[in-house]
Amino acid sequence: MAMQVCWLDNLAKAQETARKTHKPILLDFFNPQ
Amino acid sequence: MGTVTYPNEGVARFIDLNFIPVQIEISNQEMVQRYNVSWTPTILVLDADGKEHYRVVGFLQPDVFIATFEVGKGRYYLDQEQFAEARALFEEVIDRCPAPEVVPEAIFFRGVAAYKQTHDPKHLRAAYDTLTSKYSQTEWAKRAEPYKLIPA
Repeated sequence: MAMQVCWLDNLAKAQETARKTHKPILLDFFNPQ
Repeated sequence: MGTVTYPNEGVARFIDLNFIPVQIEISNQEMVQRYNVSWTPTILVLDADGKEHYRVVGFLQPDVFIATFEVGKGRYYLDQEQFAEARALFEEVIDRCPAPEVVPEAIFFRGVAAYKQTHDPKHLRAAYDTLTSKYSQTEWAKRAEPYKLIPA
């Protein structure tokens, strides 16, 4: 099965994970339409 | 991005290895105002405090996306004063040259990162020389123009 991006939908959660992993956040603003 | 670039396996692997990915709908007014976003796609690199370090507006093909956000991560490291890590990322984009349109920016910031790490201005002059000899028509060659005053 092909790998997929596991997007979070909550910046606060991403910040918490970024603090633990020392990775930067990639924030994508998108239009679902 | 959602139909071409993000489904690409190389892109998915790159994002998973290098970033914590978040997607926010453009209808989220609080986030749109917080980051001053007016068009999609707009893609930002943030630190754990939510501070912006890099921004791209518009569609990117998979190869260009990976190279662009290698530079974006390099800019994040540069702002964190992790100069060796920043240089390594810029070098990779320059050496591997996966997307030639991204290379001039990587050359410019390789010079900046090397200067900030060593305090030796020859790195800025080297960036100017490379940009004017190989990429003279790019905005990055113009941005490096002041470095021609540094003795070679």
